[in-house]
Amino acid sequence: MNARSSRPAEPATAGLFRTFSASLAALVAGLVLMLWTTEGGSAFTTETARRAAVERAPQPLPDFSVVGADGEVTTLGRLFASGGRVWIVDFVYTRCQTVCSALGSIYQQLQQRILDDGLKGRVGLLSISFDPGSDDAAALRGYAARMRMDVDVWRIVTLTSAADRRRLLDAFGIMVVPAPLGEFEHNAALHIVDGQGQLVHIVDYDSPAQALALARVLAP
Amino acid sequence: MKRPARRLPPSTAALLAGVLAVGLSLPPMRSLIEQSMVWHMVIQMPLLVLSGWLSMGTVSGPSGMDRWGYWNHYGLSGFIAALIVMAYWMLPLTIDRAVVLPTADSMKVASLWFAGAVLRHSFHRAPAVLQMFFMGTAVPMATWLGIYFASTDLRLCNAYSLESQMVSGQGLAILAMLLGALWLVGTIRAAQASSRRFR
Repeated sequence: MNARSSRPAEPATAGLFRTFSASLAALVAGLVLMLWTTEGGSAFTTETARRAAVERAPQPLPDFSVVGADGEVTTLGRLFASGGRVWIVDFVYTRCQTVCSALGSIYQQLQQRILDDGLKGRVGLLSISFDPGSDDAAALRGYAARMRMDVDVWRIVTLTSAADRRRLLDAFGIMVVPAPLGEFEHNAALHIVDGQGQLVHIVDYDSPAQALALARVLAP
Repeated sequence: MKRPARRLPPSTAALLAGVLAVGLSLPPMRSLIEQSMVWHMVIQMPLLVLSGWLSMGTVSGPSGMDRWGYWNHYGLSGFIAALIVMAYWMLPLTIDRAVVLPTADSMKVASLWFAGAVLRHSFHRAPAVLQMFFMGTAVPMATWLGIYFASTDLRLCNAYSLESQMVSGQGLAILAMLLGALWLVGTIRAAQASSRRFR
């Protein structure tokens, strides 16, 4: 009714044509935008997009100064380069009660598998604490003892400078958000870093067997 | 026409909603949408649409709301554009991006405001059937997504905690059903009124 009352000079068909072209344009533009954003309908979450991006092209990682449970200061780059090992990296904070305890037991299983399969020295496990504020060397030692880490297989480090935290998390694509009870929530996953210090795969943390298989392929 | 007393003038209401909605993307209020998915998805996004809707109500001039009418016969183009914009900003991926990237966030603000504006333009000229096409798509989409957000164990947005996601899922579903019911009541009332007129 309203449409008819406007500008009666033009025939209604002209208006319909414009409306159909506008609708079609919106539809096509919307479809293209959706497909482009979701990478052809395959990634609806940031996490799947992050994993797909790493699969497409290995990502070089910037270097960071880190400190281990033994109090020794080194850099992530030097650690990755030492011995040409392939590393399975995860992110934790030692106060964690929720997902990290699951991650912890998964890493224990992985450690056992690496020892059993004679992969010691070829595949390494690295836990990086993203909470350098409260995770000092003593806290890392406590975690290492609790997890019964074998130093030759599994290491834990944290940043020496809390100022690097943002840059480190961005490099790996980790987002940490505060959760109730002073905990953190973050996109926990297993990150496979090759001998050149490049991030090459990201695997679900509940698929450790797949992570180990991928690491084994890359291992020297 | 009798105007109800002590009501906000349309332009003031549009401005108020606009300032509040855009303000949530700027400091100091920005921390609210950064920390809570509820503030982001259930409060800011609908508020942006509302401010676009209210702004369209203030369009004056020779033909007012009839302007651009030839581009939006029966409200079709506007409904399609608004559906696309709303669906786009319901993807977990784009919600994350709006939190992290300022460019994505400004796109969100502009496009949702635009969606609100064209929606009003469309509703104004759409027959009940086409309104039903829009509501019949938008309401189930938002309700289903809300229920999914509220019930899945997967953390869909890296920017928000699972807890926050669950609450906003519930909020989204309730909001969608509320708006659907509101529209239904309005349409039935209008139909009754017009049938009375023709009796």
